[in-house]
Amino acid sequence: MVKKARGLFWRASIRYVFLLGISVILAVLLNGIVIAGNDRVAQAADRIFAGQAVDMGKLLVGLSGLAVWGAVFSFGKSLSAGHYSALVSRRVRKQLGEHLLKLPCACFDERGAGGVLTRFSSDIGEAGRFYSEILPDLLVNLVTVVMVTGYFTRMDGRLILILFASYPVMLVVADKLSKKLARIAKGFRTRMDDRTEAAYDLIQGIEILRSYNLEETADRRIGTVIDDIADHGCKSTRISSMGWLLKGVLTTVPEVVCYLFALYEVLGGRITTGEMLSFAVLLGRVIYPIGDIVFCANDIRTAGVAMERLERLFNRPTEEEERLSACDFGGKTETYDSAEKGRNGDREETAISWSGVKFSYELGNPVLKGASFCIRKGETAAFVGGSGEGKSTIFKILCGLYTKEEGEYLLYGRRIEDWDIQAARDCFSIVSQNVFLFPESIFWNVACGKPGVSRKEAEEACRAARIHDFIAGLPEGYDTLVGERGVKISGGERQRISIARAFLKNAPIILLDEPTSAVDTGTEQEIQEAVSRIAAGKTVIVIAHRLSTVKSADRIYVLQDGHAAESGTHKELLRKKGIYANLYGKEVEENEKQSPCTGI
Amino acid sequence: MKSSHHVPASDGAAVPPKSGRKHLFLWFMGLMEKRLPLYLGAILLSSCGAAFARIANAWIVESVITSAQNRDAEGLFLRVGLQFAAFVFGWWMWRVGIVRYNIEGRRGIARLEKLVLSKALRLPFSYYEDHHSGDFISKLIYDTERAGDIYSSRFRRLSSAVISTVVYLIPMFCYSSSLTLCLLAISMFSFLGNTLFLKPMKTSGGALAAGNGKLLEHLTNMLSGLETVKMFPVGEMLLQMFSRANEECFKAQKKTNLLGAGLESLNSFLDLMGALAFLGLGVWFAAAGRISLGELTALYTLYGSFRYVFLDIGRYLPQMMNCLANVENLYDFLQLPEEPQQYDMPAESSERGRSQADQAGAEKEQESSRAWAVRMEHIDFGYQKERKIFSDFTLRIPEGKCVAVAGESGCGKSTLAKLLLGFYAPEGGYIEICGMNRRNSTLRQMRRMIAYVPQEPYLFEVTIAENIAYGLADSGRKVTMEEIILAARTANAHEFIQKLPQGYQTIPGERGNTLSGGERQRIAIARAVLKNAPILLLDEATSALDNESERLINEALDRLRAGRTTIMIAHRSSALALADEVVRILV
Repeated sequence: MVKKARGLFWRASIRYVFLLGISVILAVLLNGIVIAGNDRVAQAADRIFAGQAVDMGKLLVGLSGLAVWGAVFSFGKSLSAGHYSALVSRRVRKQLGEHLLKLPCACFDERGAGGVLTRFSSDIGEAGRFYSEILPDLLVNLVTVVMVTGYFTRMDGRLILILFASYPVMLVVADKLSKKLARIAKGFRTRMDDRTEAAYDLIQGIEILRSYNLEETADRRIGTVIDDIADHGCKSTRISSMGWLLKGVLTTVPEVVCYLFALYEVLGGRITTGEMLSFAVLLGRVIYPIGDIVFCANDIRTAGVAMERLERLFNRPTEEEERLSACDFGGKTETYDSAEKGRNGDREETAISWSGVKFSYELGNPVLKGASFCIRKGETAAFVGGSGEGKSTIFKILCGLYTKEEGEYLLYGRRIEDWDIQAARDCFSIVSQNVFLFPESIFWNVACGKPGVSRKEAEEACRAARIHDFIAGLPEGYDTLVGERGVKISGGERQRISIARAFLKNAPIILLDEPTSAVDTGTEQEIQEAVSRIAAGKTVIVIAHRLSTVKSADRIYVLQDGHAAESGTHKELLRKKGIYANLYGKEVEENEKQSPCTGI
Repeated sequence: MKSSHHVPASDGAAVPPKSGRKHLFLWFMGLMEKRLPLYLGAILLSSCGAAFARIANAWIVESVITSAQNRDAEGLFLRVGLQFAAFVFGWWMWRVGIVRYNIEGRRGIARLEKLVLSKALRLPFSYYEDHHSGDFISKLIYDTERAGDIYSSRFRRLSSAVISTVVYLIPMFCYSSSLTLCLLAISMFSFLGNTLFLKPMKTSGGALAAGNGKLLEHLTNMLSGLETVKMFPVGEMLLQMFSRANEECFKAQKKTNLLGAGLESLNSFLDLMGALAFLGLGVWFAAAGRISLGELTALYTLYGSFRYVFLDIGRYLPQMMNCLANVENLYDFLQLPEEPQQYDMPAESSERGRSQADQAGAEKEQESSRAWAVRMEHIDFGYQKERKIFSDFTLRIPEGKCVAVAGESGCGKSTLAKLLLGFYAPEGGYIEICGMNRRNSTLRQMRRMIAYVPQEPYLFEVTIAENIAYGLADSGRKVTMEEIILAARTANAHEFIQKLPQGYQTIPGERGNTLSGGERQRIAIARAVLKNAPILLLDEATSALDNESERLINEALDRLRAGRTTIMIAHRSSALALADEVVRILV
């Protein structure tokens, strides 16, 4: 795959550029009408002042006709510019949406989803404004200035010189100001993100916020961010208002000079009073657009900040690209050979083999420091170890949600880099209490496992997962909506929904995350039953917290200090009298302490 | 989902009159309170300044054209120089006004945002469980931003247009009252034409906003469930949903464009017609000798500005109306009932049960309230009417005891915690915590009695030190680093926190991504340690952890339990071992 050309906005804006062209052509026509009308008026005025008769009726009819055409052109101009902006925004939104889904999961850890979301909505709004207002205005203004100055040149070429004499100064001033403003705009956006994230964070933690009476603390935290935004905004106005002031003054200086020069020409008898009148009228039409052209640098820079932020998001390498850049092409054929060899060697045997895999979420804080293990097809392997030893991380790397930094990971004898990532993921089903449930219907969430599945099939899977009765008991059954992060669905229920999904997905490898914790005994049995049904004939990898649940595993890996410190069956490990034996001893001891329950 | 607990009508920050655009607007401006006169004054100053600059500009034109017509340039330079000075003065006034206006506008927005977000944190608990929090927050923020636009631009644009219109009319009438009246009549036409667009503009603006909200909602889903999206072939489905929302957005935008183009077309037609009418009238007046050519040009220059600002009224009024739709949303949001300070007494349906409970309570109150840390008497509760979770449920927990609450999943163990914390009010029955009940204490006071460690410990996106210090945030005093470290030590968290690259200054990632479950749990325990409340409430505190973490946590909890009443919402039998007594909830 070729690395895609950069410039999300550029390509979208080029794609629909014909609409912008239409808008500009219509603007030219509109200006032509204004100039033609003005010309007629100037001639009429000259005749009147010269004492000649003017056919007012004819003049008025002619001008009305022009006004009607003006309205038509103006409608078309505005509509095509607006449509242009809408099309560009739609395309950009679509492409960004698609891109976001392809990004590696690791992308959203550092900045958080909140930042991505505000970026998406408010930056697209800002960028949309560029396409709907700033860019068309700029073009239309340019057209106006060019056409009107062209008209002036017919009168006297020197007028143009005077008109544009002070603009270099203006350009310099505008440029300086706009740079400053762009910097402020950038800071402004970041602060807005902070505010959104803070609000989001506080709502997410509302349970703690309430029970610890943190309302005032939260107000203070949000207040600080908001006040900061306000201060920043004031700073920005101080600078931008200075710009406007300068613009007002700087545009008027050449205007006044032009008037005086025209006066000089009239006094010298070189142009007529009517021409001067027309000049005065048109000057107003051209002076402001020139100023706008110069000073729209501010707006462009501000919009530029928004677009740049979006571009950066868009240019984040997708999973696929990251993988491609990670593998060196020189060694590829060789790898294929070795993969081929591997296949011949233990093709029937090995499902997964890792050697020396290293991984860290943040620099200098490695989670896996060279994990090696080998899991055969159809066997049940278990990982045990302390929290933070990287058990869940292993699952994430297995599924290709995160990419290992070093070492080798073979899936069915092939390097993970050589797999189509989607095909690799098709090999795994995750059963966990922490599954994400979309705020859609329960049916939708179960059907995730096999899109397009029929209602009957989904119900069948739910029966097998022992969750059907629960779902059927809900007010709207399978159509019940799940709250955000499935607030109303408990861990045990989630676990069973994930089992139903796994039934539908029917992948050869089952990843079981903490399958029996945090549910009561009755549910635990049900889940065990359901799990053993899907696990039949499959390769199963278990993350276990209770050693008692993994006694029957074919092989147990004990993680410590970032690698598999011990491995073997339960009996072998006990014989070793190592870490596992020690942990197991403690667990047994604790279980013995357990006193019988007393009810009240 | 209907929550049927009782909340009194909100007292609200400011009780505005019933809806209606005018009232809505007045209410919104009223939020500025004392700052309002300064804000309005600044708008007046800036508008007058800008108008004055334009008038000075017209004077210059008049001087020059008069000179041209009279072929006499004597004293012209001095006059033009003075007029130019007046012009610069006008702009300077404008700038002073605009800077002050912006400061006040920004402060207004800040006030508004604080008001709204602070409200967002004080809603009844059921609100958070019933609403998609991403949607709810982004919609709120979108609405405040759009409503804030009124403070920071929309209102000034409109009022400035009105003020300038009036200011321009003064010299215009001086030049020629009859001509100005004619021009005013023409402008009226265009203004009326513009008002026709007000309503459709508002509707389409609302549709656009709704489309945006939908789009964001889909995006939130896609990102929150990214891992699921990657593991199952649902990406296509989600993208289709997203595309559909995108298409809706596009449609709404197209409609807005069409209206906007119509408006602009109308305006440019009227603009040209206005110029035409001016020409016809002006030439006629000039020919009749009622106005000089210089005055006519000056009048035309002013009319150019006047027409512009006059049409601005028509242009900006719909925009402001669009924003008022957002104000309306905010107004409705701010009218939502907050979580009350104290829950009302249960409704009549359970009157009998309550009075029984109250009687029983009153009898025993004197002698026994000291001995019971928690008393729940004859509790009736359900999130939905049809699905009662508790009916006539009674639980008494003696002081200093450790009680585990067990039962099958879905039997209401977590609901019990929510009731104790006052997140929901029972429909019937009576809850007393350390002798406090809803008659004699506020919810906040009662919550002070409980240190809560939830099922899924949430860490805020502030430093670990602050996260722990939140345990004492309610006390109003500053927590020292020593206290934080002591709490962390008690919770067995000090060691691993110290090992983090930034130690106590580490900010846990979104949803505490970089810390393991056990570590987050221990920080949550440190927070509870610091709170030092007489009751400790643990919800599945030891779930989903490995042996080592559990050992560390149990050790921490042992220390924390000393001298306290502990309520454990337990799910595994191993947790029950620690309890003095076990309560089983049967479905």
